[in-house]
Amino acid sequence: MSDEYRFIGRSTRRKDATEVVTGATRYVNDLKFAELLHGKVLRSPHPHANLKSIDKSRAEQLPGVKAVLTWEDVPDWKGGTPRITRVLDSKVRYVGDAVALVAATTEDIARQALSLIDVEYELLPAVFDVDAAMQPGAPQLYEQLPGNIVTPGMPAFGPNSLREVVMGDVEQGFGEADVIIEGTFGYENIPNPIPPEPPGAVALWEEPNRVTLWVSNQASYLDTIILHHVFGRKVEVRTHGAACGGSFGTKLLSWQLQSHAVLLSKATGRPVKLIYSKEEHIAAFVLRPGSRMQARVGMKKGGTVTAVSGKWLVDTGFYSMTTQAQVAVGCGEIQLMTRCANWDLQTAVVCTNRNASGGVRGFGGQELKCSFIPLLCQAMEQLDLDPVEFIKKNYVKPGDGYFWRDGAWYTYRGIDYSDSMEQGAQCFGWKENWQGWLQPSSVAGTKRRGVGVGVHGNADIGEDSSEAHVRLNPDGSVLLFSCITEHGTGQRSNYVKMVAEVLQVPMERVSITDADSQINPFEYGPFGSRGTYAIGSAAIRAAEDARRQLFEIIAPRLKARPDELDTADGVVFVTADPDRRTSWRAMGHERTILGYGRFDPDFTLANCMTTFVEVEVDTETGKVDLLRVVNATDVGQIIDPPGLEGQLNGCLGSSGIDSALFEETVLDDRTGHILNANMIDYKWRTFSELPSIDNVVLETPVDSNRFKAIGVGEVATSPGPMAILMAVSNAIGVWLHEYPATPERVLKALGRVKARSHTGGAA
Amino acid sequence: MRPFTHINARTVKQAVTALAQQNGAARLNAGGTDLFGLLKDEYLPAYPDMIVNIKTIAGLNYIKEDKNFLRIGALTRLADISKSSLLRQRYAVLADAAHSVATPQIRNVATLGGNLCQDVRCCYYRYPRHIGGPIQCARKGSGACLAVTGDNRNHAILGGKRCFAVCPSDTAVALTLYDARLLVVGPGGERQIAVGDFYTPLKNGLRSDEMVREIQIPRLPEVPQQTFLKFTLRKPIDFAVVSVAALVSQATGICTEARIALGAVAPGIVRADAAEKFLRGRPLTAETAAQAAELALADARPLSRNAYKINIATALVTRALLGQKECEIPPDEVKAYNPTELSTFHRCSSSTPPGYATVVESGTATP
Repeated sequence: MSDEYRFIGRSTRRKDATEVVTGATRYVNDLKFAELLHGKVLRSPHPHANLKSIDKSRAEQLPGVKAVLTWEDVPDWKGGTPRITRVLDSKVRYVGDAVALVAATTEDIARQALSLIDVEYELLPAVFDVDAAMQPGAPQLYEQLPGNIVTPGMPAFGPNSLREVVMGDVEQGFGEADVIIEGTFGYENIPNPIPPEPPGAVALWEEPNRVTLWVSNQASYLDTIILHHVFGRKVEVRTHGAACGGSFGTKLLSWQLQSHAVLLSKATGRPVKLIYSKEEHIAAFVLRPGSRMQARVGMKKGGTVTAVSGKWLVDTGFYSMTTQAQVAVGCGEIQLMTRCANWDLQTAVVCTNRNASGGVRGFGGQELKCSFIPLLCQAMEQLDLDPVEFIKKNYVKPGDGYFWRDGAWYTYRGIDYSDSMEQGAQCFGWKENWQGWLQPSSVAGTKRRGVGVGVHGNADIGEDSSEAHVRLNPDGSVLLFSCITEHGTGQRSNYVKMVAEVLQVPMERVSITDADSQINPFEYGPFGSRGTYAIGSAAIRAAEDARRQLFEIIAPRLKARPDELDTADGVVFVTADPDRRTSWRAMGHERTILGYGRFDPDFTLANCMTTFVEVEVDTETGKVDLLRVVNATDVGQIIDPPGLEGQLNGCLGSSGIDSALFEETVLDDRTGHILNANMIDYKWRTFSELPSIDNVVLETPVDSNRFKAIGVGEVATSPGPMAILMAVSNAIGVWLHEYPATPERVLKALGRVKARSHTGGAA
Repeated sequence: MRPFTHINARTVKQAVTALAQQNGAARLNAGGTDLFGLLKDEYLPAYPDMIVNIKTIAGLNYIKEDKNFLRIGALTRLADISKSSLLRQRYAVLADAAHSVATPQIRNVATLGGNLCQDVRCCYYRYPRHIGGPIQCARKGSGACLAVTGDNRNHAILGGKRCFAVCPSDTAVALTLYDARLLVVGPGGERQIAVGDFYTPLKNGLRSDEMVREIQIPRLPEVPQQTFLKFTLRKPIDFAVVSVAALVSQATGICTEARIALGAVAPGIVRADAAEKFLRGRPLTAETAAQAAELALADARPLSRNAYKINIATALVTRALLGQKECEIPPDEVKAYNPTELSTFHRCSSSTPPGYATVVESGTATP
């Protein structure tokens, strides 16, 4: 608990609170530039085609148009993993793919110019399904990817980047099983979290080889590295991470959009702003990967999983940038929730003719588990096992091991999460409501209620590296250098809080630099839940280093050793004799102290989120209503209670629980059009329909950093979808395995949709 | 958006004259909530050359009852209709239907005339120009209806022909139930169209130089039992998957009048004649209501993915007849979003027995 801390664990005012709520915060679209041009993208009407010819002469003649670019005009810049996707290509691979770019003095002129570009397409057959894409003779998206299978492995994770889970002897494992279940399940509704602010950037090129970008991204330092590689390692890239109006993982990267803005600035010599419309955001920006798993699982009567084998197919759309990373992390995460000795789980990342998949909160693990847990449920049903008991038994325990994303074996040294699961179950009233598999918890007329539970956890809380500087000024103020954009979680404020706690100065005395890649040290960015442990540790260590230097400088004046000193509120004093004191000014007016902190990856700790849900199903209309949610977790030490509560309440949207209720991206599998690229047809929960949410948070100290805390923000979305399917199945008494549980699917599962003769002109 | 000419009409005559002069290239702007979608997404082959603002026409915002008709001006806002005490008392289905539209913000600007004349919501028809260009279809005059072999989960189960988009108007369901008619003005004068006849598979019954001036509901002699139900995935914002209005008058336990109107199931609003006839002269019971509902959907011919709408429509007809208004319509007053009331935060100690020593940081209840 927080008694020992002055700021940590207490509700403190967010540094940017006033600016955000008064509208003063400047997002990318609010930034002002002289001579600014507006960029627009001409998008393909076809899911797969070669560009036979492009005539841009009419567009170029339109007054106000400053540049029209096609694949023939631009350098051979490429992104993707492997790096084979050109920023503008002679081929288009999805409906919405970039055909040409325009920069003009106004948005309207740029848009008008798009309609004046004449394109002749040579149509190619397209493929929208992963199994079909792997078949011989299927349309090929890239020469370099035979069978549309993306080169496995994430190079950034090293040569052994996890791409499968293989250990033990699965045949022996199946031999020991009391029940073996086999099946194919998917999580293929490619939901989109749709952060309120659409993706965007402003680029300013300076000859010969320098570019500065103002980005709306979650990880602005990483943008400089990604773009440096995309630009053939010949361009010096600087980013300013503006306030980011939400990301939920999707705005980890925006390399295509950013590259397009850079190309237009390079062509015009002027700053170019490129901001997606809501339609582009949904139809031409990254989606969650599609997940399909054909697998076999063996289980013993007590809930011990004896073997898992199968194949996990991941639909990445028209390219992969991070999907192999999601596969690696997903393969790690499935081991965290399934203590099993025998594995043979293979994977493949497959390209199809729809817009690309990218990072989304739940990064691989949510996609895999949403396909895997329905299979486990079948086994649990056969053995009449309570899923809460199963989760408690099977979630990673201290001393267990797992292969993590780099392919190395790690021994878990965190806590046992059974206590949080148990307290969550108590808060929810699980025992009172669980009536067994496919049994409703209550029935009233046409309304049937059911309960479900899901679990998710990630060892990404200590992934990747972070660096920070902390500068102490003689006036008692502090400046934290950390290349973090504020993407809505309040973490910038939390790092200030951590530094304030270490240095015992009021938070008002601590500032944080803008996320400028040129002045700040390396920062991978707030991926996953790494913010608290990884990024926080760098800030803490930088503050501790600065504190140490301060004491070394001041110790002689107080005639004490540095280790005898302490500081609070800009005063250094001898711990044992606080009257021997002097202010930070004693460091000298013409001096600042610069501390440095670094975090190196640690995959031996993992977080855990358990989500309980209760739904009510109308068996006549098929409508599913979410009545209540209980999230249960253990975070070691709460840093900021309202911030944490906000993250946990995020369990609904951002393609979380609601991706099992109504969120889905509707892709026409004949034409490749995304049919619901607007906020009426993409079903996004509104504030007037919030269920009851209880967040049960334990604080069992974890051996992480100074504050014994770990992050949990990312994983709130992930256990929910599978819990919903379980709850709906229990409510209606038959299995429902497809996401989302729409009225159409519920009524079909109930066998109530009558077959009618298809006459009257209908197909 | 593209450039267009904008004029403020001061009279109905000015408005229809402008429409006639533009010969199909002008659009009326009342509340604008549907028009802006067209202007932004440019989903139609032609972009309007002119926008005729009719909000500047005085005197078209009224709800009044005379000897024969309840008359509503075409520019009456949905918010005013949903709050009208006259409608609430005597024509509750119309007030409820207006209230079920979109959100308070939209109802504050959207008009009854606009709600009736809005374009269909078909996802192919409305596909935005900026993502690869608009999709051609029968309704746009070239090609087939893509929904027939495509994603037709929201399309017609009744009466589709060439185009299977459904009428999205909620108020049209209520007005069809009341046998209402539209008073339509064109350059040549006025004419009347029954709301039930207004919609055809490819377009509504308005010529390009006409506008709706008034909506006329034959006066109800008494206040019958009446219910409007709308099925959506989300309570606010959404257009209906199915909507149903029903009206029943009974004398000594026998139905003397029964009317059923179904929305979002067909290109127009469907009156369930056979079901209505079945009920007249019979007692209204759970059983007869269910039988009537079966009859109401007897002619349904679903497409590949929308047979489930028959189930929903059947359930809604039964419930509407029985007056089961369980789909509570949310109140207009939206409660201020208070993050501390959104959820309950239980800060628990792991060393104490579960269920004890729970510190509640915010909210009140803790189990």
